Amino acid sequence: MELLVFGIFFIIYAVMRLQNTEMFNHYQMTLNREIGFANTLLLIVSSYFVIRAVHAIKLNKVRNSINCLYAALGAGAGFLILKTWEYAEKFAEGISLTTNSFYMFYLSLTIFHLLHVVLGMVILFAVAIKAQRGCYNAKNYIGVETGASYWHMVDLVWIVLFPLVYIIR
Amino acid sequence: MKAYYNVHTVWLVMMLLTLSTYVLGELGEGGFVVVVFILGTAMLKGSFIIRDFMELKGVSMLWKVLMYGWLWTICITITVTYIVSA
Repeated sequence: MELLVFGIFFIIYAVMRLQNTEMFNHYQMTLNREIGFANTLLLIVSSYFVIRAVHAIKLNKVRNSINCLYAALGAGAGFLILKTWEYAEKFAEGISLTTNSFYMFYLSLTIFHLLHVVLGMVILFAVAIKAQRGCYNAKNYIGVETGASYWHMVDLVWIVLFPLVYIIR
Repeated sequence: MKAYYNVHTVWLVMMLLTLSTYVLGELGEGGFVVVVFILGTAMLKGSFIIRDFMELKGVSMLWKVLMYGWLWTICITITVTYIVSA
């Protein structure tokens, strides 16, 4: 369902850009691409640790799986910090949802994605706590896999969002 | 062990592909070739996530069609709109 909503958002963005190409290209250049790039790396790193956590629990390496989940959460926290910094810059410049169409899409798409990152982190944290309590092992790991799938979905959305909003023109 | 090695490789390739996307963005280049390359890169990275991180290798065809279909439909539609606007 979330993928469908993001997909519709992405296509509407691309179609709206068709009608205002110069304006979208101009304001896209004002975005902080370094932060967008760093955040992409952070999400890929976090997804890498999440799949390692799944592999570890399947091998009954519970401690290793927990460590990987916390490493993924650390990368997710890095994403939140950088995103907060990026928004602080933009809000300090007086930019809001009503500034223009480009910023409306930029803010609504990235904030909607950010909410999914936060929810994904809550899920991963809950999975890590349950793993610490001994709820998961090589025979019972469906909870770890389910949490991991949600996190990878969040990463997948950003993989399209980053070039679309920050890079291509 | 082989699968573990593959995850390392996939992760490294995705990091390098992200670097290439960022460098192209910094160069400020646009146009057909650049847009196709960057969105092709996004499709490749998305396919890695679906196949190797979500591990959809062994699931039913319906799930594969839904996930890859979403990714390819979005990326191809965006590419077409950008080519039209060029």
